[in-house]
This record gives sequence, C-alpha cells and structure tokens, in this order.
Amino acid sequence: MDSIPTFNAEHLQSNMKTVYYSRTFLSIIGGVIAGIMGFTSLTGFIFYFLIMAITSVGLLAKAGFTVHSYFDSWNRVLLDGFLGGLMSFVLFWTFACDLVHIF
Amino acid sequence: MAEDLVLDTAIRDWVLIPLSVVMVLIGILRHFVSKLMRSSQVPDAKIVKEGQLIVRARNLRSGANFIPPRSFRARRFYFSNEENGLLHVPKGQAPNPQAQMFSDPNMAMDMMKKNLSMIIPQTLTFAWVNFFFSGFVAAKIPFPLTQRFRSMLQNGIDLSTVDVSYVSSRSWYFLNLFGLRGLFSLILGEDNATDDTQRMMQMSGFGFDPTKSLGAEKDSLDIVQHDWALPKFEQRAEAVLRKVLS
Repeated sequence: MDSIPTFNAEHLQSNMKTVYYSRTFLSIIGGVIAGIMGFTSLTGFIFYFLIMAITSVGLLAKAGFTVHSYFDSWNRVLLDGFLGGLMSFVLFWTFACDLVHIF
Repeated sequence: MAEDLVLDTAIRDWVLIPLSVVMVLIGILRHFVSKLMRSSQVPDAKIVKEGQLIVRARNLRSGANFIPPRSFRARRFYFSNEENGLLHVPKGQAPNPQAQMFSDPNMAMDMMKKNLSMIIPQTLTFAWVNFFFSGFVAAKIPFPLTQRFRSMLQNGIDLSTVDVSYVSSRSWYFLNLFGLRGLFSLILGEDNATDDTQRMMQMSGFGFDPTKSLGAEKDSLDIVQHDWALPKFEQRAEAVLRKVLS
C-alpha cells in the first residue's frame, strides 16, 4: 500500500514561507549574538552556519521527522534559504559588534 | 592587524543608528505609498479567459491520475484538438496580443510607477548619505577583506594605511540596503514593495505572451502519460478501515 504523493500547492507554499521566516528571524538574532560576543571573520561565519544547522534541526523536529507529509523533498527544509539570511546576519553582526566593542 | 581605532561615540549616535532608522522608515513608507498608488486595472476579458483556461489545463494535468483513462483522454482531446481545441491557436493570430500588450498605456504607466517608486527613495537616500556623512570612518566590519575592496568601501577616507575593515558610511548604507530586506519581509509580511529582485522577476515574466503559454500548456498536456493510480484503492480503503475499527 503506497501513498500517492499529492500536494496541495497552497499549503506547500505556506510551509515554505514559515521556513523562510524562521530562518530570517534566527539569522538576525544570530547576528546580534555574534556581534555581542565579539566573533570575528571566520568564527562569525561558522557561527552563521551553526545557526542555520540549528534551524534545520529545529524545523525537522517540529515536522516530526516525517518530511514528506509537509514538504516535497528533503532539500526544501534543509537547504533552502541557507544563504538568504546571510546579508541580514552580516548587517546585524556588524551593528552589534560595533556598538559593543568599538564605541 | 594594526591597532584598533577608537571611534567617537557621537558617530554611533548620529550616524549609524539614524541611518538605519531612516532606511527602515523609508522602506515602510514606500510600502504603504505603493499600496495606495496601485491603480486598479480593469482586466481584459480575453486575457482573463485565457488565464482561466490555462488553470483548467493545469488542473487536468495534475489530477490526471485520479480519473479513469477514458475520461482523461476525452478531456485532453477537448483541449488539444487540432480543429477546435481550446488550446490550439492558429498561427495567424499569434503576434497580435504581444503588440497590443506593449503599446497598452495602462501597463506602461504601471511599470513606470513601480520603477520610480523604487528608484527615487534609493537615489535620494544615497545622495543624502553622500552629502552629510562622508569623509570619516563610520564602522568596522568584523571580517577582513582584501585590498581590492579598499576603494569601494573606504570612499571618503583618504588614508591608505587604515585597515580595510574600517569602512565609510557609504558602505554602511549599502550594507543596510541589502540586510534590511530580510527585516522588511518579517515586519511587512509578504508581497512588500521593497523586494527588488522579486519585482524584477515578476516584471519580466508577466504573461505578455498568452499565446505562447497556451502552446506550452498544450505541449505539456500532450506529454502526460496516464498512470491510473486508483485501482488498488479498494484494498487501501479496506486496510484503513481495518486499522480504524480495530
């Protein structure tokens, strides 16, 4: 008995939007944290990827580890939008780092 | 790495924070202004008909495996029939809608308005930043860059021995420009007027050629292989019922 993959396009899209919002929000928060803790160059970027990995794990846990009932492929929830939050992260990282350490 | 420069607190108070706050406010203002200025277009009946037709064909394609083979074939014939099928457009009519679309004054005005509403605030803010906040070090970016970026980032600073990490306010403006996009998508919800890249993609693929998309739909409909997915459904229903009742 195999379940035919049928997806409601609207629901899929709304799920993708949720993923995008979570990633953006967490990259902003991550940027502020990285700035306050004074990470520089490579450490900061590693911290960004760490935050993205935590986001992926968190999303998977919320989806109950059955990706196929909410998204159409693993890549969507794991890798999509990875680099989208990078610019916001860098902005808030620079902001917080300067506010706390330089001024 | 040279010694750390000590920067005046006044720079933080009067440059960094006001610039960010101004950009956020201008973004919000632009979003609401574009919402107000959006003129309601009277949709052309022919375009709407063709759009709905494409939606119907697409639904048929996605649900093809759930209807019996004969009904699927009958529906497909209705759409892509050579003589009077709905998706089949005779060659003579093809270029017309395109020409009409480009010379349509409403559409041109709309595009121009959208373009302007995006470009003008950016240009004004950039000019303001250049006029007021030039000639000093504004911020320090936490990661090192090569010397090639020096001319781009340290525009007003004329010392060549300053570390490239210390940037002028112009680069702070650009950093804000790119970084606040994420923030806007959070506060303004989807479909806000600040997302440039999305808007540019939308403008290019606006559906200017309905006839081409009809042809594309017809081709993709022809390609679909019917794979009857429901023959085992009685067994499946039986299994589910057993699970529920036990």
